[in-house]
Amino acid sequence: MFVGLPGQGMHVHLDALSLLFLGILLPQVVAGALAGMRNSPTFWVFVLGMGLALAAADAFTLILGFELMSAASWLLVLRGDQKPATLYVGMAIFSAACLVPAVFLPAGSIAFLLIVLGAGAKAGLAPLHFWLPRAHPAPPAGVSALMSGGMVKVALYVIIRYGFVVLGPEAQPWWGGVLVAAGAASVLVGALRAMLETELKTMLACSTVEHVGLIAVGLGIALRAKAMGDATTAGLGLQAALLCAVAHGLYKPLLFIGAGEVKHSVGTTSLNWLGGLARAMPRLGLLMLAGAAGMAALPLGPGFAPEFLLWHAAIGAAGTGGIVARIGFTALLALLGLGAALAIGAAVRMFGVAFLGRPRTLQAAAAEEGERGPLIGMALLAALCVPVALLPNLLLDALSPVIRLLAPQAAQPPLAYAPLPLAGLAGLVAVGAAFILYRHGVRGSREVPAWNGGFGKPPPWLPFGDPATQPSATGFGEPIARAIGRGLLAPGGADPSEAFLLAPLARLHLRGVRVAERIRRATIRQRLAFIFTALVAFLLALGLGEGG
Amino acid sequence: MLLNFLLRLIATMLHVGLTFALAPLVMGVVTTLRAWVLGRRGPPVVQPYRDLYKLLRKSTLVPETASQLFSAWPLACALSIAVAAMLVPGFCTGLLTAPLSDFVTIMGLLALARAATMLGGLETGFGFGGAGAAREALYGVFAEGALLVVLLGFGLLAHGVTVDGIAVAFDTQHIGISVSLGFALAAMLAVALTETGRIPTDNPAGHLELAMVHEAMLLEYSGRNLLLLNYAAMLRLLLWMSLIGSIFLPFGMARATDILSWPGGLVLWLVKLAAMSAVLPVFEVSSAKMRVFRVPEFLGVAMLLGMLAAIFLFVAARIGA
Repeated sequence: MFVGLPGQGMHVHLDALSLLFLGILLPQVVAGALAGMRNSPTFWVFVLGMGLALAAADAFTLILGFELMSAASWLLVLRGDQKPATLYVGMAIFSAACLVPAVFLPAGSIAFLLIVLGAGAKAGLAPLHFWLPRAHPAPPAGVSALMSGGMVKVALYVIIRYGFVVLGPEAQPWWGGVLVAAGAASVLVGALRAMLETELKTMLACSTVEHVGLIAVGLGIALRAKAMGDATTAGLGLQAALLCAVAHGLYKPLLFIGAGEVKHSVGTTSLNWLGGLARAMPRLGLLMLAGAAGMAALPLGPGFAPEFLLWHAAIGAAGTGGIVARIGFTALLALLGLGAALAIGAAVRMFGVAFLGRPRTLQAAAAEEGERGPLIGMALLAALCVPVALLPNLLLDALSPVIRLLAPQAAQPPLAYAPLPLAGLAGLVAVGAAFILYRHGVRGSREVPAWNGGFGKPPPWLPFGDPATQPSATGFGEPIARAIGRGLLAPGGADPSEAFLLAPLARLHLRGVRVAERIRRATIRQRLAFIFTALVAFLLALGLGEGG
Repeated sequence: MLLNFLLRLIATMLHVGLTFALAPLVMGVVTTLRAWVLGRRGPPVVQPYRDLYKLLRKSTLVPETASQLFSAWPLACALSIAVAAMLVPGFCTGLLTAPLSDFVTIMGLLALARAATMLGGLETGFGFGGAGAAREALYGVFAEGALLVVLLGFGLLAHGVTVDGIAVAFDTQHIGISVSLGFALAAMLAVALTETGRIPTDNPAGHLELAMVHEAMLLEYSGRNLLLLNYAAMLRLLLWMSLIGSIFLPFGMARATDILSWPGGLVLWLVKLAAMSAVLPVFEVSSAKMRVFRVPEFLGVAMLLGMLAAIFLFVAARIGA
């Protein structure tokens, strides 16, 4: 081999874990290509990098693929917007600086922490998630879809590969605790920001932070339980994390491609400027509704089974271990409940404000149905959501080799949530209700002006009524911003990690630059004086050292 | 074996039939008793049935600005509440739906109904619906968190989280009266009051638009759509009563496979429902409706109580009490 480390070359090997993540990647790549990225070579390099990272059998190939993915996605982000691209490349360099030493270090806690820092920064785990809501919305929709649905999964794959397989024998219970803590923070911040952001793609990116957090919580619970020998909880945590990765890889790209179509058709993705799109774009509306149901983790949708498993895993984890850990898991459960309800609120807000209601602008009123290619891509993803939503048990059976690979002793109980019988019960009730309504009720319906609390018809020069009288996305999030946002977010509604981590770093950087600039501008006399002082100090130290 | 299955099937059908038939009556009893406590005569207890029949005979109006999904939301709301009501055991345990009655599934179904109602409120894009939906989202956030920690306490005590399993465990095992269960009950009652839209968080009889939450989302609905939404609200009240009854008052619940225990179970179930329908209006009349932004504090206390319940259990397990 002429590439790779000298004397070692590059190796590719596909095991169950790699195949699973390649399987998660495939439909998104097809959908992204259909969404208009077919002719972009950078896009295919990006895909190649992800594939290489997933198929790698040695550390060098893994890093090569990972960095190829980072570099290509940076170019794609740069094409969309320059400002987040700088932030993005900074994060990519940081994650490389953590990953490269980590993969060559001997197995142990330092290596694991570096992996979590490096890959976690790439996946968008709190507190290193601040770049994600800025960078993911920047490129075209097909790339955003693949970054949110695929790239973060590759980063999580690295965490899984190293945490469970490569460093597996050295695993400590607290490693899981680190992942759970980072994941829980991501869930809370991601879900809260998704509820408050008014830009559609940014909001979807925040929701990605939340879902990455959910996957990390599942992985953390499993890692901790595996190290403590709790077979049931380990199995539940892994099932939850992997199923969540599969489901998220379907509905999030769908939503991103849909957001791209909204942008294409209306010219903006600000929720406050949309409205009533379900009438103008009925097909896109239905597909987005399917995606929103997944994002909200509602029953009979693709997102519920992972959430169900995760809650059970957290309840199981709270039943074992020391009392502090148990109290921690109790708090985690409260937090997961908050996050789940916030996700529902965010999904309802996204669909209710953008697709229902009345148009808020003339552009939204004149929107036309999306293009064929992206719609086909979205339909493909939505079709794949159906088996995930209705047959999660079959999917868990298919995941069982992966779980055996990651935690050989983990128990894999069958899923206690059965969507098909629930759907059957709902069908029975629906038949009964339809019988009563159509047998005894008045059929048909009449279209009338909305009652609107007794206000009259809108005037002819405002056919959809005054947009200012409609509930806006900002207004919808206001109660939650007041009740929770004030306590959790930084002043002004900024992301806490941005305000408390990024801003101090930026200030530090500025101060460093000023110092460097002062040194650069020093006159020759100052420089000579400096060298002379340094020499004297050095000789003095040397002399004192010799003498003492 | 076959006999057992048949008995369980009959018990399930009886449970479902009674639940669906009694839901308006429970609402009627609560409304009438509330009027009595306030010193009024109040409507007859069968008034909800008459209202539902009236809505059945009314024509259905659809606003011009609504999307084609306008009628889907009431249906989704009613169906998910109906399925949840089929899962929660009423007069007996061991129904055919018992394996499905995981608490998390029921929480999910209630959340689905809530999401459908919120989308219905946002449908026409008029102010009240949006305000109601935004408040409902706020309440839901705290209610779900509180419910999940309460569930942890049940899971620790009953070693399982299906409602049926919790009911059986609390009925047969000697749990005793513990502080944890008291906290859990308080938390659960707070969530139940919020979810069913009763005072102190929402006023079911209120038509003062600024203060409405649940009613505000239904303003544009009429005819059969309103019928479905109103019936779902009645069913939700009965569901929460059955849920609290089977978890906190599980004594005397019948076994589905033992037909001789059914009459006793049925009578006790009706007595429990009647008692709760009597306590609810008294509580409602003796407390005032909260401001919207006090509700998160109210539910936050519920969440803390739920956490305390779990923590007390941990401590008790530690000291071997």
